[in-house]
Amino acid sequence: MQQAATLPLGAPMDAKPHRTASPGRFGDTVFSAACHAAGGFVLLLLGGIIVELFIGGLPAFRAFGLPFIWSTEWDPVTEVFGAGVSIYGTIVTAVLAILLAVPVAFGVAFYLTELSPPWLRRPVGTAVELLAAVPSIIYGMWGFFLIAPIMGQYVQPAVIDTIGELPLIGELFQGPPFGTGIFTAALILAIMILPFIAATMRDVFEQVPPVFKESAYGLGCTTWEVMRGVVLPYTRISVVGGIMLGLGRALGETMAVTFVIGNANRISTSLFGPGNTIASVVALEFGESEMGSLKLSALLALGFILFVLSFIVLAASRFLLRSRLKA
Amino acid sequence: MTPPSDAETTSGTTQNASFGGMQARSAVALNETARVTVRNLDFYYGANKALKGINFLLPEKQVTGMIGPSGCGKSTLLRVLNRMYSLYPGQRAEGEVLMDGENIIADGVDMNALRAKIGMVFQKPTPFPMSIYDNIAFGIRLHEKLNKAQMDERIEWALSRAAIWGEVKDRLNSSAMGLSGGQQQRLCIARTIAVRPEVILFDEPTSALDPISTLKIEELIDELKRDFTIAIVTHNMQQAARCADQVAFFYLGELIEVAPAGQLFTAPKHPKTQEYITGRFG
Repeated sequence: MQQAATLPLGAPMDAKPHRTASPGRFGDTVFSAACHAAGGFVLLLLGGIIVELFIGGLPAFRAFGLPFIWSTEWDPVTEVFGAGVSIYGTIVTAVLAILLAVPVAFGVAFYLTELSPPWLRRPVGTAVELLAAVPSIIYGMWGFFLIAPIMGQYVQPAVIDTIGELPLIGELFQGPPFGTGIFTAALILAIMILPFIAATMRDVFEQVPPVFKESAYGLGCTTWEVMRGVVLPYTRISVVGGIMLGLGRALGETMAVTFVIGNANRISTSLFGPGNTIASVVALEFGESEMGSLKLSALLALGFILFVLSFIVLAASRFLLRSRLKA
Repeated sequence: MTPPSDAETTSGTTQNASFGGMQARSAVALNETARVTVRNLDFYYGANKALKGINFLLPEKQVTGMIGPSGCGKSTLLRVLNRMYSLYPGQRAEGEVLMDGENIIADGVDMNALRAKIGMVFQKPTPFPMSIYDNIAFGIRLHEKLNKAQMDERIEWALSRAAIWGEVKDRLNSSAMGLSGGQQQRLCIARTIAVRPEVILFDEPTSALDPISTLKIEELIDELKRDFTIAIVTHNMQQAARCADQVAFFYLGELIEVAPAGQLFTAPKHPKTQEYITGRFG
């Protein structure tokens, strides 16, 4: 008689499967609850932070009303506070940083996807990613001890004497060459956000189907024409998303900016002048604020404004990058 | 309409030879003039030799069909003819591909100019993410400076030659992505001919299309050979029989047989060809 020996089953067919360690219904419930809690916790945290910031800032919003946002006064002695200067500084440094970083990031991404020899792709790509891993305090020190003196001794005097002499645009490049200031802060920020933008651009460029590039090459395009005519139109939304991602980072950056921006509560027409950002003001003044004081409330209100700004920018970035994130 | 050229008069009389229900062209109609001549061509993907000692020619203003099982090297050969392989490191060709007396696979050939002379249509339609008008104008702008009127005229000409003008003339400024698959493929053909190449390479142009669109493209290819020398890679033997004047059969990187379509399909010389066209493998 033919035996079941040919079957790979050790036990007779009618034996019930036996599990030595069953979590049982109770274990399932606990695990499910724990996962729900973990997921909910994130939402709770985000909501908690924004509510807390708003409640903390409420006295300042009450005291100064809506003009708090554009008032340039910041006087702890008379307890008059306005966010105008730091909002201005935050936006100007971030936008300037984007203007400086985007062309370089595009060059890096273009090089990595189209031009570099294959063996160099990984090392350079990894180096770009590692730039993002450098702690911001390092950028701050490096900026303060190396970049600011170079800016002060060589770059700014040269620019002030040349472009600074021009009508209109010259206004932006005048004043004493401190080395520190809005422009230097933007420069450091640009270096810090470069890897994020470059890595995003590289990823989206790589997602262009080769057949599109080939059909452009097939018409007689040069590499640049393929890039400008096909790859960029094809990826433009994701590229803008990557730029927004960098902008979001630049808005909230604190330590590196605090080191080099000069920390003065004034709006100067020159980009070489000192200024401050929301993050740098909070970092510098938080320690000197008494509990329950109007100043502390004003700082929390600043934090709330920054939170909303970054939130909007990053949300826009995620929206624009949604097709890439899905893939 | 341009008057029929010499090539047309030699090949125009298409006496049909019947082959297994297919209508293949007559064996006597091949044009003698070679537009592109391939001599002793070897091709390598890294260390892997994909084409072995290929010798054949594309007759001027005629359609050359390339058939063979997957991986036989027919698409590779097409990519040699317009140097598309040069985009990828590790791919190289040895031998001679002569066009106008120049070896186009030699180093130092101006590939952008070459690709303007040898256009290509791909398996999948690849409209660029821009308007229909700009899709056509894109290629023209690379090579020529035309004023608005000349550009409009050229675009109408290209779209008409690709048999799509009537369908798109009222929406030239809408996105090309909104067209159907068959329309997109004809748009890609229009984009290719707008540059006024001399040779057009088709890489399985209908394999992603429905039968009606396929028929339109085939009719178009027949019409285009009045002005262009055409090479078409296809998996579909009926298609090769319908479109091609000359058919080349490839197998494992070698050119097994090349002959006028009527002859290859009715009286193949090589047993492998015989086996392939009767469906015994592939």
